[in-house]
Amino acid sequence: MRARKAIILTTAVALFFGVFFLFPVVMVIGEAFVDKEGGFTSAYVVQVFANPVYLEGLWNALLLGVISTIAALLIAFPLALFTHRYRFPLKGPLSALILVPLVLPPFVGAVGVKQMLGVKGALNAFLEKIGMMDPAAPIDWLGEGRFWGIVIMNALHLYPILYMNIAASLAHLDPAMEEAAQNLGCSPWRRLRRITMPLTMPGIFAGGAIVFIWSFTELGVPLVFDYSRVAPVQIYDGLKDLESNPFPYALVAVMLVISSAVFLLSKAFLGRSRLGTAPRPKGRQAEKVLRGGKGWLLTALFLGIFLFASLPHLGVILLSVATDWYGTILPEQLTGAHYDEALGHPLVVPSIQNSLLYASGAMLVDLLLGLAIAWVIVRSTIRGRALLDALVMLPLAVPGLVLAFGYLALAQEGRAFSFLVGANGNPVILLVLAYAVRRLPYVVRAAVAGLQQSNVTLEEAALSLGATPMRMMRRIALPLLSANLLAGGILAFAFAMLEVSDSLILAQQAEHFPITKAIYTLLNTLGNGYELASALGVWAMIFLGISIVGAVLLAGKRGGLFRM
Amino acid sequence: MEAIRADSISKDFGEIRALNEVSIGIEPGELFFLLGGSGCGKTTLLRCIAGLEQPSSGRVLFEGEDVTDLPTHKREAAMVFQSYALWPHMTVGQNIAFGLEERKVPRDEIADRVGEALEMVRMPGFQERGIDQMSGGQQQRVSLARALVVKPKCLLLDEPLSNLDAQLRLEMRSEIRRIVKENGLTGVYVTHDQAEALSMADRLAVMDRGRVQQIGCPEDVYRNPATSCVASFIGETNLLDATVKGQGEGGSVVVETEAGEYAGRPAAEDWRPGEGDKVFVSVRPEAIRIAETEDGSLGEIMETTYLGDIIQYRVRMHAGVEIQVSEMNPRLVLAKGVGVTLEVHPENVVVLRE
Repeated sequence: MRARKAIILTTAVALFFGVFFLFPVVMVIGEAFVDKEGGFTSAYVVQVFANPVYLEGLWNALLLGVISTIAALLIAFPLALFTHRYRFPLKGPLSALILVPLVLPPFVGAVGVKQMLGVKGALNAFLEKIGMMDPAAPIDWLGEGRFWGIVIMNALHLYPILYMNIAASLAHLDPAMEEAAQNLGCSPWRRLRRITMPLTMPGIFAGGAIVFIWSFTELGVPLVFDYSRVAPVQIYDGLKDLESNPFPYALVAVMLVISSAVFLLSKAFLGRSRLGTAPRPKGRQAEKVLRGGKGWLLTALFLGIFLFASLPHLGVILLSVATDWYGTILPEQLTGAHYDEALGHPLVVPSIQNSLLYASGAMLVDLLLGLAIAWVIVRSTIRGRALLDALVMLPLAVPGLVLAFGYLALAQEGRAFSFLVGANGNPVILLVLAYAVRRLPYVVRAAVAGLQQSNVTLEEAALSLGATPMRMMRRIALPLLSANLLAGGILAFAFAMLEVSDSLILAQQAEHFPITKAIYTLLNTLGNGYELASALGVWAMIFLGISIVGAVLLAGKRGGLFRM
Repeated sequence: MEAIRADSISKDFGEIRALNEVSIGIEPGELFFLLGGSGCGKTTLLRCIAGLEQPSSGRVLFEGEDVTDLPTHKREAAMVFQSYALWPHMTVGQNIAFGLEERKVPRDEIADRVGEALEMVRMPGFQERGIDQMSGGQQQRVSLARALVVKPKCLLLDEPLSNLDAQLRLEMRSEIRRIVKENGLTGVYVTHDQAEALSMADRLAVMDRGRVQQIGCPEDVYRNPATSCVASFIGETNLLDATVKGQGEGGSVVVETEAGEYAGRPAAEDWRPGEGDKVFVSVRPEAIRIAETEDGSLGEIMETTYLGDIIQYRVRMHAGVEIQVSEMNPRLVLAKGVGVTLEVHPENVVVLRE
């Protein structure tokens, strides 16, 4: 019985995955190798590497990926280590607070960074005021082409992913591993390098791979910074003449290969290291209580990083209530007018409704699929369930851009997905599916964690007392899982609300725009578009902040949601 | 001079007092055991000696020198962990070489000493093995070798055998004792297994609820338990409430229990209980001689457990109390319901104050 159900579920999931994930991805790659007559060619990909503009774009994307990951690691590792080792005042709330930047939409934040660090921004105005800078020769903090602005934004946005992975690795570390080194004469610094760091590598690699792929393929932030010499933006710009220009496909294929290679490398590294076999700690309290100044120093560090990471969004909030903010430290006058005006704007209210619809649809799909997949992985014994486990994690390795591109191509007249496009080009089904596929790994991980924690005998007890499988599911299994499912679901929902690549590429008509595309369109609107975009952004942030804090609280244990 | 001295050490974890004014002295070259049930503070005391835990008050002295504020990596007290704590990202050889590298020992010498250490634990040639390629017993030996190779002044062992199966545990007992003695080390060994402590220790300290109950050699602690808690923790015993009736012959004390009147000897030499004092008596099951009787029986056999070399009887005395009796090398088995008399030599009746 159980085996048959598992096989049916697995087949259904595999089918869904094949059609809505593998097929579009393979199609994009195929498109890059097919010439106008339909024959095979490698000319497009070769030409990408021969074209200095594309080459520079790829190189810049790679640099952005690597530097952003290193920067995020430099923030995340000390934080994770300190939370693992020490207890300091306000530790509980602070260790939740430093996760918040993950949910602040980075491309909204980019607006704030420009406002704060631009040539006529708040920092320069402050420096002028205290006489540290000559008004005639302002410093361009973000640099030519805004490269460092993007790095800062990525690092501040993504470090929580690394933090959670490293914290999870540390939590699984037997405290005796470190004590043994200490006991054999190892000083604290050398112990960090020789024992703690190597043993946390699984967490560093798992989180690092996600952060790298994320920032390597980031589209929204470079767009807001007007940084066009990076591959994702070049691909986006190539959309306009997609019919005649095969290079966007070739670029997408190259990015996919690089992302998958990084993902597989990190997996291979994790597989080869035998670190999973380390004994689990025996519940000994490894935290050292820091009293007085030292403890408050850590409190200040955590608070400082949180404040710094939310500085861009503070800029957005200020911008949304500013009458005029140019060349001054703070806005001269405050107003609520942008919020009023935004609510009256033809883009704003529909975009909120659209996003709510798309995101809830995606969440529902994810919950159903995630529960089914997790059940097969944890509870069934059919062969190939490890493969299924690996398969559903793949969307983490595939840039959103790639999938969006595949969907777009397949949705054209006469192609496989064209029946999914509603009347008047309504992309609701496409967007729900695209959102759902990319967030599925988080929901699966959450559900798997929940199923592993809940004992199978609890379910068997219900069955033995005469409950039918369906009633057992409803009365025993689902209630036990509800916290995990809810956490995964909220996360899927939140990420869908802020999704950039799919939203920008797949929503074509203004009436179907989700929030992110509405914000992007407003940013490019003359007049007070920036302020209106900020107002909409603030609404989105408040909404997401509440969702994510809820998810983190429900998940109870940090870290389970973002692990590979 | 004592190799290790714990001087009235207390340790609080929040509200909980894990150690309460504990003092012990350990002689050089001695294998000293800390014995007690879970939560008695034995591991906390070991960790204070190792420097992995800072005592809330009190001092730790190594050879008369105060090391209380010295971090563990400067103490020369090598520890063997319950979970072995072998680093999975290093080979066996690298694990063992670690402490030598930290001490800046020259490269060639490291190789030699790692080899010697592996020979000492009877695992020559295992340098290149990975940690997960070894059985639990082998991991145990490697973790011993890793501690031994730095030639520490003392060796601290935290329940080193608790993760091994019964057969291997017996084998490792004599192995660990051999290694400690051959290297002339001072060893401190934490365990909850009284058989391990009795068979291996030169001396042992029995701990309960953060206090030392008794320190002595195994025979002394077994035969002359200082408190009822020690008596019941070390081996099996019959522990009875009693009232002192008066003085008996040869320094003995006569006490009245629910099972009748007995002569016994006070646990401590400097203590003479007075008439009417409330005390405990402890009688080991194997110290009681049991005999069948037609009339004048003291009790009746409730249960007989045949173990081959031993028979255990549960006897209900007419007064109501139950007594455990073990007969070694039994010739005949008494059945349930048989009336019996029980006899015990006053030497084997220990009168306890608490």
